[in-house]
Amino acid sequence: MSQTVTNAEHNVHPSDQEGIAREPLVLNNRSMSWITNRICGIVENRQPLIWWILFVPSVLLAGVLGFTLVYLVSTGVGIWGNNQPVAWGWAIVNFVFWIGIGHAGTLISAILFLTRQKWRTSVNRASEAMTLFAVVCAGIYPGFHVGRFWMVWFLAPVPNANAIWQNFKSPLLWDVFAVSTYFTVSVIFWYIGLIPDLATMRDRAVTKVRKFLYGLFALGWRGGNRQWRHYEMGYLLLAALSTPLVLSVHSVVSFDFATSIVPGWHTTIFPPYFVAGAVFGGFAMVLTLMLPVRKLYGLEDMITPKHIDNMAKIILLTGTIVGYAYIMELFISYYGANKFEKDAFHLRILSGHYTWAYFCMFFCNVISPQIFWFAKMRKNLWVVFIIANFVNAGMWFERFVIIPTSVSMDFLPGQWGFYSPSIVEKWMFLGTFGLFLSLFLLFLRFLPVIAISEVKGVLPESDPHHHDWEEIKARRNAAHRG
Amino acid sequence: MANLFPRWTNELPLKAVVCVAALGGIVSGLVAYTATPKYTRVGYMPEQPIPFDHSLHAQQLGMDCRYCHSFVEQSSHSNLPADQVCWNCHGPGKVKPDSPKLQALREAMDESSEDYTGRPVAWVQIHETPDYAYFNHSAHVNRGVSCVECHGQVNEMKVVYHAKPLSMSFCLDCHRNSEKVLRPLDQITNLDWKAEDVDKDAFYAYLADKTGKGVEDLKKADSHKTFDRLLIGGHLKEAWNVHPPQDCTACHR
Amino acid sequence: MSDTKTSPIPFAFVAEFENATELYHAAEHVRDEGFKRWDVHTPYPVHGMDHAMGLGKSWLSALVLAGGTTGFLTALFLQFFTQISLYPTIVQGKPANLSTIPAFFPVLFELTILFSAFSVLFGLLIVIMLPRWNHPLFNSELFKKFSDDGFILVIESRNRKFDVEGTRAFLEKIGAKRIEAVEEDPV
Repeated sequence: MSQTVTNAEHNVHPSDQEGIAREPLVLNNRSMSWITNRICGIVENRQPLIWWILFVPSVLLAGVLGFTLVYLVSTGVGIWGNNQPVAWGWAIVNFVFWIGIGHAGTLISAILFLTRQKWRTSVNRASEAMTLFAVVCAGIYPGFHVGRFWMVWFLAPVPNANAIWQNFKSPLLWDVFAVSTYFTVSVIFWYIGLIPDLATMRDRAVTKVRKFLYGLFALGWRGGNRQWRHYEMGYLLLAALSTPLVLSVHSVVSFDFATSIVPGWHTTIFPPYFVAGAVFGGFAMVLTLMLPVRKLYGLEDMITPKHIDNMAKIILLTGTIVGYAYIMELFISYYGANKFEKDAFHLRILSGHYTWAYFCMFFCNVISPQIFWFAKMRKNLWVVFIIANFVNAGMWFERFVIIPTSVSMDFLPGQWGFYSPSIVEKWMFLGTFGLFLSLFLLFLRFLPVIAISEVKGVLPESDPHHHDWEEIKARRNAAHRG
Repeated sequence: MANLFPRWTNELPLKAVVCVAALGGIVSGLVAYTATPKYTRVGYMPEQPIPFDHSLHAQQLGMDCRYCHSFVEQSSHSNLPADQVCWNCHGPGKVKPDSPKLQALREAMDESSEDYTGRPVAWVQIHETPDYAYFNHSAHVNRGVSCVECHGQVNEMKVVYHAKPLSMSFCLDCHRNSEKVLRPLDQITNLDWKAEDVDKDAFYAYLADKTGKGVEDLKKADSHKTFDRLLIGGHLKEAWNVHPPQDCTACHR
Repeated sequence: MSDTKTSPIPFAFVAEFENATELYHAAEHVRDEGFKRWDVHTPYPVHGMDHAMGLGKSWLSALVLAGGTTGFLTALFLQFFTQISLYPTIVQGKPANLSTIPAFFPVLFELTILFSAFSVLFGLLIVIMLPRWNHPLFNSELFKKFSDDGFILVIESRNRKFDVEGTRAFLEKIGAKRIEAVEEDPV
């Protein structure tokens, strides 16, 4: 024991050095059992009234989604407003919108894990859940856009009596693979992260049903170091796998557009621009959800102003990247020699049907986040919440601007047309919000919203040498006094 | 607290894996077998208004397919015979005019009969091309594809049934390897045709005529090959310049 | 029979320690003492504990490499077999031969990741031998603290070095706060 202490004495622990001490990730010196109690308490106690006030309308809206889908399948996609030349209307706008939102979760889990950003621990669980629910909402659109929903299995390469195989050279097929892989890997990542916390829930459960269900899904986790060491390796591997994956998914989604020849879509800037936009919109949605959750369930000590500050900075960064992409698109259309491209952007920003949408997008996505240059604004939760919602709206407008404006007026005047969504599309979009919120509220109700074991791991006393250092410090102080 | 889960649950995962694997195998096997036209269509044998016996007419009496299905060489659609065609032989004073099996025909044709309605015989369609697929009979029978390739040995059927799957892969199989099915044009309706029946000399003379090559050269080139269907089909494919389309728009127009 | 025994042999001793530091040093002692079947159970993965316990690097990564390779080869086979031999679709002027490969990259990538992720999940479950819903340790009330704030060390009786009195004394010596003997489930 003394051997270790003397060894540690030579290495100066960062927290010992004055001046560079980091802001703690959990405020008020909370203990491990406080963390367990607070997070598990959300699930174990009755839900606050506001939960029910949100849940009931959300479920009703989700029901509307179900109704519109039944109507769609029984009648046909003609009930939507999209038709030639704008064959891709709100269905694809909303698909890309939701998929984009689904990027923050895995980004927080994977990229921030690999870059050792320990502040991720308080928000990763909820944002991973949000990712899954957003991808579920996104997946509805292409699934039903095929028209004959019962033939949707044709998207998968299965041997069949028609001897047909998918066209693997098509970006739409890449999309199927990218989105389904992303969903599957996100579920695996989320579930593996949940196992230790489910064990905590199991060990605290009082009713038989809870003991059974949490016990079942905790798989008999015993938290032994002989398990943890493989677990940590597995988690690291998944993070390393998900990092390129999350970048690939929205790149592939952008290929749907970029590999076509439609002016306004056919640009090489699309993949990085889409990925930045997805991270941007995803973080905005995380903030939109986590700010109320934090307040409602008293999680201020774990989701601290520092977390919000960091996320606001990421929004500022990615928003500026997106702004750069917007301006670069305009510049290239001016600078390039492609007449059709020039016309497309002329219509987009000056005289087209949808110019208003372009400026909504530009204001929400590029101008509004610039307020985050000021630290004071990043600390003001109302400002952060409002800007996050501007970004949510702005990212939807971005997809709207890209999709219908480009195809509504392309090469030939004979192909020009105007697109406006039908009432079914509008209700369907609202319905996906209902589905998303109901799933998220159910998640709050039944699963630990913060990764308990991970938050414990970032406490100062979780370091196995913490008490050694405390001892050294005490000894030093005694020596000084002596 | 005691263990909530009893001991036997520890063996559950392994058992579950084995069961799921077995079940998955069985289900995919069943689906692969039952959910294809090989199972769902082959063997379809509806009852017809008149129990017309193809084996009697086409085999014993030696009638040609085209006596009844008369437009198959001119039309994309192979017609069913008009009732008049049956009436030609089964009319009053001819072959078995009073057979009870021909009741439906008399209702359609025999104006003197009390049962006369004038409604044509309602044959039940067995082979049906879906609306989204374009199929042209004349294109096939005029280029060496026999009836038997898609309809089976109808000349031996007492009651006609769906003999081949006629799935898309069935079509594509021939479109990719048409030498497997091509035969001399005069043998199209000979459902019992075999490669051995072909007169070698006449065949090579035909080929020489078509391709402009010498008969002896052709024979010499084939001297070490067996004279079978594949060889005949291959020669015909080359002589007729057969290139069956394989793109989607060939059938889905 | 068991009535006559003064100290029946338990399944294991469960010992709780004050904090991560104590547990870390205790683990070093248990390792040096030469025990084989023992483990520490903590609410979160304790950094450096592998070293304290004398464990090497996890070999899960090798399984995942195999899984990823399988995924890559599957995608390669799937695409080449279906697109070039089975059903060549000539569209958009793109060829169907070896030079089509750039168009195959996205799916090659996605399936590599997908299969790797599956091998992480199933490989992990196999390596850590879960799911195992029934375990003698779940009979211990003290053990349950591991998922809250307990730092637990477990020495099983199936150790050559184990003896009831000596091991209990050893655990006390290395600083265990509480010790509990756990019995196996009656069969």
